[in-house]
Amino acid sequence: MISKKITLLFLSVTLLFSSCSSDDDNTGNESLGDYENGIIVSNQGNFGQGNASITYTSNDLSIIENNVFSTVNDRALGDTAQSITFNDDLAYIVLNASNAIEIVNRYTFESVATINTGLDNPRYIAFANGKGYVTNWGDGGVATDDYVAIIDATTNTISSQTITVEEGPEKILADGNIIYVAHQGGYSQNNIISVINAVTDVVSTTVTVGDVPNSLRLDADGDLWVLAGGTPSWTGSETGGKLSKIDTSDYGVTSIDFAGTEHPSYLALENGTLYYYLSGSVYKMDTDDTVLPTSAELTGLNFYGMEVKDNVLYGVDAVDYTSNGMILSYSLSSNEVTNFADTGIIPGGIYFN
Amino acid sequence: MTRIVFFFLLLCFYSVAKAQTSTDSIQRLDEVVLSDVKLKHYNEGYKLTVLSDSILRKNGNSLTDVLRFNSNIYFKENGYGMVSSASFRGTNASQTAVIWNGININSQLNGQVDFNTISAANYNSISIRSGGGSVQYGSGAIGGSVHLSNDSDFTKHINHRLQLGYGSYETENASYNLSFGNNKWSGSAGISYVRTENDYRILGSAEKNENGAFNNLDLNLNLGYVLSQKDVLKVYHQNFRSDRAFSSTLLAPSNSKYETEDYRSMLEWAHVGDNFTSSLKAVHLLEQFKYFENKDLNNYSKGQAKTWLIKHHYKRNLSKNMALSVITDYSYITAEGNSYVDPKRNAFSATAILNHQFSSKFRYNINVRKDVISDFKSPLVFAGDLSYKVAETYTLKFNASKNFRVPTFNDLYWNPGGNLDLEPEESFQFDLGHQLKILKSLQLKLNTFYIETSDLIQWRPNAETNYWNPVNIANAKHYGLEVELGYSKQVNAHLFNLVTAYSYTETEDVEKNQPLYYVPLHKGNTALSYNFKSFTAYYQHLFTGEVDIIGGSLDGYDVGNLGCSYDLNAAGKLNYILDLKVNNIYNTYYENVALRPMPNRNFNIKLTLKF
Repeated sequence: MISKKITLLFLSVTLLFSSCSSDDDNTGNESLGDYENGIIVSNQGNFGQGNASITYTSNDLSIIENNVFSTVNDRALGDTAQSITFNDDLAYIVLNASNAIEIVNRYTFESVATINTGLDNPRYIAFANGKGYVTNWGDGGVATDDYVAIIDATTNTISSQTITVEEGPEKILADGNIIYVAHQGGYSQNNIISVINAVTDVVSTTVTVGDVPNSLRLDADGDLWVLAGGTPSWTGSETGGKLSKIDTSDYGVTSIDFAGTEHPSYLALENGTLYYYLSGSVYKMDTDDTVLPTSAELTGLNFYGMEVKDNVLYGVDAVDYTSNGMILSYSLSSNEVTNFADTGIIPGGIYFN
Repeated sequence: MTRIVFFFLLLCFYSVAKAQTSTDSIQRLDEVVLSDVKLKHYNEGYKLTVLSDSILRKNGNSLTDVLRFNSNIYFKENGYGMVSSASFRGTNASQTAVIWNGININSQLNGQVDFNTISAANYNSISIRSGGGSVQYGSGAIGGSVHLSNDSDFTKHINHRLQLGYGSYETENASYNLSFGNNKWSGSAGISYVRTENDYRILGSAEKNENGAFNNLDLNLNLGYVLSQKDVLKVYHQNFRSDRAFSSTLLAPSNSKYETEDYRSMLEWAHVGDNFTSSLKAVHLLEQFKYFENKDLNNYSKGQAKTWLIKHHYKRNLSKNMALSVITDYSYITAEGNSYVDPKRNAFSATAILNHQFSSKFRYNINVRKDVISDFKSPLVFAGDLSYKVAETYTLKFNASKNFRVPTFNDLYWNPGGNLDLEPEESFQFDLGHQLKILKSLQLKLNTFYIETSDLIQWRPNAETNYWNPVNIANAKHYGLEVELGYSKQVNAHLFNLVTAYSYTETEDVEKNQPLYYVPLHKGNTALSYNFKSFTAYYQHLFTGEVDIIGGSLDGYDVGNLGCSYDLNAAGKLNYILDLKVNNIYNTYYENVALRPMPNRNFNIKLTLKF
């Protein structure tokens, strides 16, 4: 009996101790690294100027640390940090202008490997079947040299095999052994989703969606949501955005059209609710809704990226693209801004670690 | 508009009525010989630095190198030989005007001049005029202007100069210049070529400068013909072709290249009357570029702009000490390329300059100019300058001006983003100068300046459209100090010469309340030369202070060059001069644009034949 009490006491002290330490600075015994439990922001930096960086912040944005990669590894990260994808304990940072992928431990940000061959204008990466799939534009002005590069995720080496795809592969998402690639179109415009089988590494089919698809999300039913921004007006053939739901069992598509001059982006999805950004405002709708919402949840925004987690909406603002950007958090219960913090230059991606 | 024309007509009538029959033979000769008369005669209150032939030959063919080591101008060079832009008194790349034989040649597409697409080899002299010059030289002359001159020489002569050079990184230089004249004709022709692998080792690493090879060809032909006692006809032509790979940065590889071509042609008829001179110029300018994202593919984007210009300069002597100039010009500019839908521009400008020598000590000029441009409103600009000789050795100079920079074709018409609602950038500035000249051997120039620029055009992201638009958004202030010191000393046959320049430049982006990017607070350069009979040795030093860049700062650096030359047959008809130069003698690692290391220590040998 006494021993049981002592055990309980011991346990509670341990709990108290560990919870204290994780509240403080995550350096307790249980911690996997300084950057566990929080948000990683990729700051693109200016193209050609090599000032890409990584920001870490706690979920409430009260703790913030900029230049994480260069502080930990004592060297510059690279040029134009396009995106980050986590795979097990690793984070893969795709550096567009450097034609490289920097692979780090996602909790410590210590460099593990760098891939700087076999990539040409790399954009995003997704993992399936022990492999990483990287979308590459090739030369921006050439429509026929676009491909998906393959990385062996156990050795972190690039495979000589590539998968040729249509113009402008951008966002990429894995669902089991099926990979979806949204073809935004590179310097041009495209309107398809390529479906790749990660066992055979071939494109099994393509699905037509709205013009310039910019976001991919999977819902709980296994449906794939695609938000297309539409063709911009400067091309002279402007089209409006389109929200599409693809039934992944038969690739049947149901869509809702935006007005001809509306260009939505940054689709987020949490608990059956979709969020998107349009002309400085955030709108939300249920996945079952058949019409678009008419009133905005948040207005007066200047987002360059957006995510939702635990009913909190996080947005990044690139400000004037030459000063430090910002990350802001909004409560989706009250629709009020709850906190904000300075990031690096041109924050683009928000990743929950 | 009607009022302006009336105003100028009135000025003309007045000048005819008041005309007196006095002539200034020196000024008349200048009209015949000089390609940019205004530079000499209406700038008493401005600092003018003239780089002579001998200085121009020391830094190879690159105008960037010549000016970096011999003026207050600071350069941002995207790796050696790559695109290079000037910052004059802290102003930006499109706020320095480059004037070719009196004509503004800043790009109609981006407003800038790439100083690595101008060869120093084919000009008699290059002058740097500090301070606002929009009234006389048009858009962009805010920080100052750089003048490239091909002057005519009607004295009887035929001279040839052939230069052959070879240096590190497989750098090959060749140039040939011919100059001739008799009483009737004058002419000069120049051809200059440089080709280099430019694959210098990056100090502190095993890497080399990747994808940096380039070659440039400059062709130049100028003719003058005396039609009569009073009339001279002159033709100027220049063609520059450049084929450059765009070098990698330390963090981003590159496989791209850039081809540019510039053609500049001008026909001038100068008439010298008893109490007036008149110069009529017809000019054609063509600039074009091709950008290859992948240099191995024949897949490029391109742009081109053409300018047709008619310019008339009428100068009437009102009295022995007073002259009035009326300058009118009309230009028609077109552009084409992947990102434009054939934009056009018509521009007319009228300028009046009153030049008065009040006394032997005191001179002043008053200038006013109005532009009428088809796609936007342009401000009335004005300038005044004066010089006062306080003592035989000391002259005080002052100038104040309002200047402008017009939106470029890119700003207005680039698709996507071009903004037709833009207005010209404006600046107001003044400059106080002191010049001290002691016994010809010591010359000191000290200038303090203040520049305020407003409505600066910057490209900003637009949350509504998701692409970038240029907007009149920023304001800036610049103030600082420049010192130039020249000293020469002869001891028997030993001749020493020292030229040094220092600038202190404070800038402020008013909106952000921070210094402007890429403006060093301190910049200094020194050239020291020693000559004994046929032997000359020289040393050049450049110090550039730390600069602010986006998200950080870039370290300052010191670079030194050492050279010597020997004249092998100085007395004979055929001269050989052998030149050896070591650039970056201390093997300094430096970047003048972030992540773009500049060359390590390198060597160049050159043979010059003069006959």
